[in-house]
Amino acid sequence: MIFFHSTRNELIKIALKPRSYLGLAAITGLVGIILFALVADGMTVISFVTASFEQTLRFEGKVLNGNLVAFIILQMLIIQIPLLVALVTGDLISGEAAMGTLRMLLTKPITRTQLLMSKFLAGGIYTFLIVLWLGFMAVGIGRYLFGPGDLMVLNSDGLVILQEGDIMWRYICAFCVAFLALFTISSLSICLSCFSDNSIGPIVATMAIILFFTIINALDVPVFDPISPLLFTTHMAAWRSFFEDPVPWQQIKQSSLVLIVHNILFIGISIFTFNRKDITV
Amino acid sequence: MIDSIISIQHLAKKFGSFQAVSDINIQVNRGDVYGFLGPNGAGKSTTMRCMLSLIKPDAGKISLFGLPLASNRTAILSRVGSLIEKPDFYKYLSAYRNLDLFSRISGAPSTKKEIYQMLDFVGLSGREKDQVSGFSHGMRQRLGIAQTLLHNPDLIVLDEPTTGLDPQGIIDMRHLILRLKNEQNKTIIFSSHNLSEVEIICNRMVIIHQGKSIVEGNVKDLLNEEDQIIRIQTHTDSLAKALNVLSHFPQTNVRTIGSDTIEFNMQKEQIPALNNQLVAAGVPVYSIESKRKLEDYFINLIAS
Repeated sequence: MIFFHSTRNELIKIALKPRSYLGLAAITGLVGIILFALVADGMTVISFVTASFEQTLRFEGKVLNGNLVAFIILQMLIIQIPLLVALVTGDLISGEAAMGTLRMLLTKPITRTQLLMSKFLAGGIYTFLIVLWLGFMAVGIGRYLFGPGDLMVLNSDGLVILQEGDIMWRYICAFCVAFLALFTISSLSICLSCFSDNSIGPIVATMAIILFFTIINALDVPVFDPISPLLFTTHMAAWRSFFEDPVPWQQIKQSSLVLIVHNILFIGISIFTFNRKDITV
Repeated sequence: MIDSIISIQHLAKKFGSFQAVSDINIQVNRGDVYGFLGPNGAGKSTTMRCMLSLIKPDAGKISLFGLPLASNRTAILSRVGSLIEKPDFYKYLSAYRNLDLFSRISGAPSTKKEIYQMLDFVGLSGREKDQVSGFSHGMRQRLGIAQTLLHNPDLIVLDEPTTGLDPQGIIDMRHLILRLKNEQNKTIIFSSHNLSEVEIICNRMVIIHQGKSIVEGNVKDLLNEEDQIIRIQTHTDSLAKALNVLSHFPQTNVRTIGSDTIEFNMQKEQIPALNNQLVAAGVPVYSIESKRKLEDYFINLIAS
């Protein structure tokens, strides 16, 4: 029962903290700008991509439709969303330590593990809402403004065209995997938050780790080949695999497994650290 | 039968190379208002934090309500209300919302009516919906007390609750503590670096210095000693005559300070007679001060 109350408390704190709305506002603003740009000049952008295929293919129907717009938005924003998630979740422990409220909380009859797990759960719910809002803005508003249609995706293997009736389930699955990836960011930032007594440090550290790992992935140097598949950043874009034909299920399962293992690791480290932490501030 | 509420034996805690607490031993009984007295950095807050499991001690035994803290943390903390150092709240939330959040994890969630009654009890009636960011230090301290008392704890731990309060706030806080003891028979631990405050409020006390409990006992026994330190200031020329008069009284540790002051230990009942004899002998007495040994000891601790 106390875990339920604690989780409820955490959600109330997130809901009433102005910073929590930065993420939603940023998504709304960014998606709004992208949508405006595509409404104003979308065909010019699309013609750059289709031009290289026009000698071999003939495009019929509405290429720039809601499904393509949603895909473009997701590709562009999925890099920024981790920052928006870390901005709130990185603050959940260290922010309370800096405010002094962590000291007040830990004099109550709640175990440290219960308190920590309620923060992970609340962080997960917040991350889910961010993903849900992104989905609504990208798919919902995108389809409303541009209408439905077949989705044309340019992969490293070539051009994939997905039928309108074959798309929505892919978006739902893609958002589920994107949520798993972002929850990993949430877990990492809460984990780092357990080591710090100031609210900015874990947020900056989370972004630094993402940047560092992303650079290792991008370097494409053989020496990093053994570790690259083990880094969670390698699997952050696993959601994109749902827009391949056929869907590489094995690859998606592997990516999901790596992300789940990272989550378990971050939560485990957090429990170990937080239970041994002396509250001196 | 004396009912032990807190028992701490040989408590020790080190932060890096700094030994914050090295040998604390205290015993608090049901109904005590127990004073933790010591200069800043003596180890009072560290001891209190260990008592509330905020800090894990390196050594020693802590039992509350007869149960070892390490293995009964949640059961014990559900019976304790505490305010450590300063009252910190979620500044972006209202006073009511803050109390509601803390009460929900206190083991016994309070109703809206109970929270409003508690806010009224600490003098914050009418400010329930105001954000804490707009509260003065005194108001936050009152809110801290409300948070401490809301779940009706058996033991109340207050770490320097009068720090930063204005004179009226200090008086109100003292009255509140005495009300809690007299009307509700709460056991209260109260830390301070002010001896007179402890003397007014507490029935038992411990002096902590450099991480060790130096003196522990009943406040009356410790402070109302018969044998006190007396200091007499006279004229330089009359010092010898004054020493001669003094030699006819039961005293110990006579020493001269400068050319016009004598300090010695004597029972306080002897002071009027000594004063009469000095005047009768023609010794001009500019001042007679009496200090209790413990008070003198504590003042020296603070000064050092």
